[in-house]
Amino acid sequence: MKILQEYAGALTNFEVLDFLRSRGAGKDPTRLIAGIAPSEYKVYDYLEQTAASTQTRDIAIEFVQKCKEYNLAKAEILNILNIRPSCEAALYPIIEDWDIRFSVEEGKEEEELGLLKTICQVLPPPPSVMESGEGIGVEEEDNPDEQQKKAVE
Amino acid sequence: MFCLSEIEHTLRLPPHLLNLPLAEAIKGELEGLFLDKVIAKLGLCISVYDIRSIDGGFIFPGDGASTYTVKFRLLMFRPFLGEVISARLKESSSTGLRLSLGFFDDIYIPRALLPSPSHDEPDPEDKNQVRWIWEFNEQNYPIDGMDEIRFRVHSIQYPSLPLEQDDGSKPFAPMLITGSLDADGLGPIAWWV
Repeated sequence: MKILQEYAGALTNFEVLDFLRSRGAGKDPTRLIAGIAPSEYKVYDYLEQTAASTQTRDIAIEFVQKCKEYNLAKAEILNILNIRPSCEAALYPIIEDWDIRFSVEEGKEEEELGLLKTICQVLPPPPSVMESGEGIGVEEEDNPDEQQKKAVE
Repeated sequence: MFCLSEIEHTLRLPPHLLNLPLAEAIKGELEGLFLDKVIAKLGLCISVYDIRSIDGGFIFPGDGASTYTVKFRLLMFRPFLGEVISARLKESSSTGLRLSLGFFDDIYIPRALLPSPSHDEPDPEDKNQVRWIWEFNEQNYPIDGMDEIRFRVHSIQYPSLPLEQDDGSKPFAPMLITGSLDADGLGPIAWWV
């Protein structure tokens, strides 16, 4: 066995889900007829629970277009597409140098919330959120992280 | 989380597969060889993505089967460092947490990479397990098995095969992911929503 190219491209969760679905993963209730191995079904089950299951190729392309104004790195866009953070705190571990790029001062606060709004508008919410019927808008957060920010200021 | 790797492999096609179309037979053989196996430095193989080229078809003397040199791409599970992933809690012990993705179970969060300060207390439900609690602003946030837990990938190791193994010890894990919960936004989703 020879490795020709160790890294031939990254795939988002929804691309993998798309690939499995195109081979017939979702259509077979018995899971025996479609030519998909049990280990691949485990990956399919995991991905169905994440935000990737409600995305489509058009949504992903639209999101990447809209993100150009925020100067995000490719890894950050990948993370956002996979996780679909719905609040500020969830964005912190994804974006590097948050303080420098999106500092919470007058004027720049627009950008930080702008990215969050773009995420909530373009990307559909993950399946569990849709079932409970929660809203998609940017919500008021009452979490420990907010309190920490206020304490620091 | 997923990426493609291009591999070239020389494989022998057993004669009982001669009735199948060539591409199908080769794909079946490759799946049997690589699926759900860990390749060092490349990660866990999830699926055969596509076959780029099939060469050869030579029959070596004394053999009843033909040998092909195949170039193909494999869909690998290999998270990059710093990636944020959602997983479920599998085990919780005094050395740290163990998380599972369904198809991959060897994700460990050692005690040092849990949000600080946190302490552990014996789990009221299960004598062998321990529950971890994060203290922040006078409030206690427990890590229980209900929620999805977000962690950041800290490192990936591929330990080499052990020469001997005692019975009853943990089965050998060819790929180990070490994660960290030590940042805002990581940990059970219920903490931040």
